[in-house]
Amino acid sequence: MEASFGVYYEKNSPIHQLDPRTKLLFMIAFIVCIFAANDMYAYLMLIGITVLSVIVSRVPILMVLKGLKPIFIIVIITTILNLFWTDGYTVLWSWWIITIYKESLIRAGMLALRIVILMACTSLYFSYTTTPIELTDGIETGLSFLKKIKVPVHEFAMMMTIALRFIPTLVEETSKIMNAQKARGADFSSGGLIKRAKALIPIIIPLFVSSFRRADELATAMECRCYRGGTGRTRMRVLKMKVKDYVFLLLTAGMIAGVILLNIYGKGYKV
Amino acid sequence: MSIVELKEINFIYGKKTPYEIKALDNINLKIEANCITGIIGHTGSGKSTLIQLLNGLIKADSGTVYLDGSDIWEKPKEISKIRFAVGMVMQYPEYQLFADTVREDIAFGPKNMGLDSEEIEKRVLQSAEFCGLDKDILDKSPFDLSGGQKRRVALAGVMAMNPKVLVLDEPAAGLDPKGRREILGGIKEFQRKSGTTVIIVSHSMEDMAMYCDRAIVMCHGKIVAHGTCCEVFSQHKLLLDVGLDVPEITGIILALREKGIDISDNIYTVDGAVEAIKSYYQSSKRERGV
Ligand SMILES: Nc1ncnc2c1ncn2[C@@H]1O[C@H](COP(=O)(O)OP(=O)(O)O)[C@@H](O)[C@H]1O
Ligand SMILES: [Mg+2]
Repeated sequence: MEASFGVYYEKNSPIHQLDPRTKLLFMIAFIVCIFAANDMYAYLMLIGITVLSVIVSRVPILMVLKGLKPIFIIVIITTILNLFWTDGYTVLWSWWIITIYKESLIRAGMLALRIVILMACTSLYFSYTTTPIELTDGIETGLSFLKKIKVPVHEFAMMMTIALRFIPTLVEETSKIMNAQKARGADFSSGGLIKRAKALIPIIIPLFVSSFRRADELATAMECRCYRGGTGRTRMRVLKMKVKDYVFLLLTAGMIAGVILLNIYGKGYKV
Repeated sequence: MSIVELKEINFIYGKKTPYEIKALDNINLKIEANCITGIIGHTGSGKSTLIQLLNGLIKADSGTVYLDGSDIWEKPKEISKIRFAVGMVMQYPEYQLFADTVREDIAFGPKNMGLDSEEIEKRVLQSAEFCGLDKDILDKSPFDLSGGQKRRVALAGVMAMNPKVLVLDEPAAGLDPKGRREILGGIKEFQRKSGTTVIIVSHSMEDMAMYCDRAIVMCHGKIVAHGTCCEVFSQHKLLLDVGLDVPEITGIILALREKGIDISDNIYTVDGAVEAIKSYYQSSKRERGV
């Protein structure tokens, strides 16, 4: 079982050193930019930013590409849907009931590109260069203003931390249990839908049982160490914005400005 | 005669990623039929990886696994036949229990083999007995049992498939001494009665010395020693070098030898030590002319 999301790649690059809140802000801006951009040159800029980020982070580019494998099918399906089911003016190719327009081709290409750079950037900033703990710390501190309106930010962050912490454990456990049942001749890959669903019972039940057991043990362990929610709790690592972060946010503002300007004045192909 | 043979096996985890780990490095190995072979090695030496190759749960990057002289991956579609022939009890098998009753859980393997219900029932009773499970437990839920009992149910579930080769990964891990003795003793009795070939992974030298006929020592994905228990345990220096201990009693005997008491140095069970010390005592008495 592959779990490319949630894989931290240890290096000491400038991107690794950024405050997680900076990365969160950047990603929000980046996502907005991706969907707001309508000029070819704006797209090129965003692609450039993605490629530059990968290079600066020193995460192997092959690893980032491999991480994109799971979305490959989604990209293909959206491309095909866009290609065949949208209208345009310039007919490129036509056969029987299928007509492909130049506009659809470009739109499909753009959409595929959007998904790819969105995924590449998200996984780069949030998983390859940020540990899950940093990320939830960032979310908790970043959203702490919501505490004023009684949103249990700390509790949500704690839940998220715990959930993230147990993803690898769960993946490992699933493969162990699958192996154990395979060793007893369980067959997960043949037969009809109902047979296959039934074949999952010997995996799901042990998985549930051990998850509940683990949750129980964890709750006891936390209680033993006097955990009682967020009030009055201090942190071991206090997040602090550094000069680097402000520089990066400035660059982010530059990116937003760039996209707006190119959208209005850009001479590229408009989509 | 050997029943399982490994030839030039290499296995790498996380191939072509930055986290590559060479878990097995050019393994050549023959496992004798009709006896208990112990695989010893410190944590991470590749024991679990090695045994998962034997029933095709994983496939080696290079090299061949032979069962009864034929390549187990010859017909990949029929790998489930290999899995029935090589029964595998994974580490902490109690976490794989799932059925409503102990009986159903033990019957899972035989059912997958396509046996008829009469034969299944016979095998369930038989293997439950070998594992020391009482009849009245069979209709309980496996989740209501104690840790040691759960382990035995899981073991019975694999034994019920009547495999030619039974492989157990640390069957006694985390059990108290009595539980260890019961489980390992049960396995030994099963082996003696059925003539099955048994492979036990462990890192307890005492257990190995007590229950195994042959031993394999692994270190960093390589086999560093292989032979009868006697042959392997007599290589004290090698065992210490690979981070293992000689059995406690062997340590005592070695200490005695250092003090100038001349007794045999290949003793690795308490009974053997008693005999050796007795005979030493008697012969020294004779020498002194008492
Ligand atoms: N599923 C896995 N993914 C990656 N590495 C693994 C996996 N399983 C084992 N390893 C690594 O392979 C090596 C051998 O492990 P293993 O066969 O479990 O050793 P043992 O059973 O002797 O403790 C160890 O370095 C371990 O970290
Ligand atoms: Mg192991």
